[in-house]
Amino acid sequence: MSFGQRVDLALADKVLKVAVERTAGTAEAKRALAVEAFPAFEDARTRAAAIKDHVIAHLGHYLEMFEANAIAAGAQVHWAQTADEAATIVVDLCRKAGAKSVARSKSMLGEEIGLPHALAEAGIERVETDLAEHIIQLAGERPSHIVWPAMHKTREQVSALFRAKHRDPHVEETIAAMAESARRHLRAEMLGADVGISGANFLIADTGSICTVTNEGNAELSVVPPRVHIVTAGIEKIVPSLPHAIHMLRMLARSATGAALTQYTTFYTGPKREGDRDGPEEMHIVLVDNGRSAMAADAALKEMLRCIRCGACMNHCVVFRQVGGHAYGGTYPGPMGAVLTPALDGLSANRDLAHACTMNGRCQEVCPVKIPLPTLLRGWREKSWREGLEPVSMRQGLGLWRQAVLRPRLYRMASGATVRAMRLLARQGWIARLPFAGAWTKYRDMPAPEGGTFMAQYAKGRRR
Amino acid sequence: MTARDAILGKLRAPVPLDLAAQAAALVAGSERPPETAGSPVERFAARLAGPSVSATLDRIDDASGLPDAVRRYLAHHALPATLYLPPDSRLTSLDWRGFRIDEAVAADQMTALAVAKAGVAESGSLVFETDASAPMLPNFLTLHHIVVLATADLVETIEDISVDLAEHRAHYWVTGVSGTTDIEGQYVRGAHGPRYLHVVMVG
Repeated sequence: MSFGQRVDLALADKVLKVAVERTAGTAEAKRALAVEAFPAFEDARTRAAAIKDHVIAHLGHYLEMFEANAIAAGAQVHWAQTADEAATIVVDLCRKAGAKSVARSKSMLGEEIGLPHALAEAGIERVETDLAEHIIQLAGERPSHIVWPAMHKTREQVSALFRAKHRDPHVEETIAAMAESARRHLRAEMLGADVGISGANFLIADTGSICTVTNEGNAELSVVPPRVHIVTAGIEKIVPSLPHAIHMLRMLARSATGAALTQYTTFYTGPKREGDRDGPEEMHIVLVDNGRSAMAADAALKEMLRCIRCGACMNHCVVFRQVGGHAYGGTYPGPMGAVLTPALDGLSANRDLAHACTMNGRCQEVCPVKIPLPTLLRGWREKSWREGLEPVSMRQGLGLWRQAVLRPRLYRMASGATVRAMRLLARQGWIARLPFAGAWTKYRDMPAPEGGTFMAQYAKGRRR
Repeated sequence: MTARDAILGKLRAPVPLDLAAQAAALVAGSERPPETAGSPVERFAARLAGPSVSATLDRIDDASGLPDAVRRYLAHHALPATLYLPPDSRLTSLDWRGFRIDEAVAADQMTALAVAKAGVAESGSLVFETDASAPMLPNFLTLHHIVVLATADLVETIEDISVDLAEHRAHYWVTGVSGTTDIEGQYVRGAHGPRYLHVVMVG
């Protein structure tokens, strides 16, 4: 299905718009309050961007430092160049551990490398422990947001799903009762898992620690009881030390949910120590490149490696708010997804994403690490043009326009004639049907132009 | 060539001699949210009471009053006098007569007690580390989590927590009860972990 077809489906789905609006609207309001209470937030964004730029410039150095310290703490470090390599490493580790079931704590990298699918193919039962991931696992769907993967579901849909799939579902029709139903259902499955799999929000180079943040506490319940803990992390997640992580954590929680910190912020350094009462016997960290080293070497794209996956850009995006996350087609939706997906999966199949943008700049304004997302999207548009990926109609249309615009007198005559013709078509200031734009006016009226072309008005103003 | 060598090969860049100093300079004077009015204890208490942490607070003069403080809490919530205690001599040495003390945590454990290493006034966070006397799982399994914090262990900001991550398997900050906004963005308490967080400050 093409991007256009997915957008058509999304726009026709009335329930989807309600669901996206409920969560994204709340997130937008909460973030605004959090930023208002942190007057130095603008300077903090500049600092966060500088920290990430420093790391990206010295990524190899910090990765080697992280690896050495993680190994010294007793963890085993694995490297994967591609998504498939990473998924294979994780599946092999699960097999070696004799795992029948794994408890998984939400990680977008896990989605990126196709872990749910790889585990299913290997016949390993996967217990998604994040409430939203649990919902979409039951529904057999994919995440539609990087912080709220089940954003596209209304409470009514979740209720029906839990009643159909939970052993002991909720009675009362409230969100609290639904969450309680999931708690009952998931607890036993979580505690009985052989392997716990998590992502990492940060990798701390100078100690070899990994950091996870959750509000539910599901990451800890997923990775502390099993005998083996597997971490999958993108290589850009690294920070030099804990103070750097602290600064990024302040930015992450406020930008994502408007909280000062997430409820649970946990640092793990190696497996269980001698004398420890709980924790895994083995800890494996899979460092995943999957296109990131190429992005680090690409002047136009390396700023995208600053991303800390807070989701603020999509919560504030007028396009995302209309179509939701699934329309984007990739692992990552919204503005950050529109930049990242062509880098991960190739431009030719994803060139439409860069066009699904009004260039209003909201994403860049709220980004905690100041990624110039509109500029990066424009970069993809230019590349798509240079590589001849834009359709013939677009190329020819722009070619014609170019011919006209290079002849100012001709251009002014043509645009003046268009304005006059549009006025003739208007009834009471509105045009109900416009030749060559029938698809546009099929669902809405076009306002009739007022006061002539820009150049005509400009000339009039100068004479005055 | 291994995947490791291939990845690192693409990321080779000269390492300046003062890289560590550059990294340190990046976090010198990190921006923080402004301090609200009051002493650190008052600010911490205000944070605990706020909607994002939503914990309750009790204060006692010295640790010998802890069993009574726990009794008060359990009675208030009409809970049985059954308690998981970690093998921490600061807790086990107290007089727990009248309680049933569990030394292992059950999957449906109702209440667990733990000692925090520190509290943070900036965020209302409680800081924990794992070791032989401090398991981690009980603090995430139970419905009611009661945390003991010495007033002297309260610090102003997150950076003030004294920590060497390499020293313990897990170092973690608890900033509120387990919660979720995964259904329609609406906040619900008690997602997988504790629904109630109760702090007893000593001293």
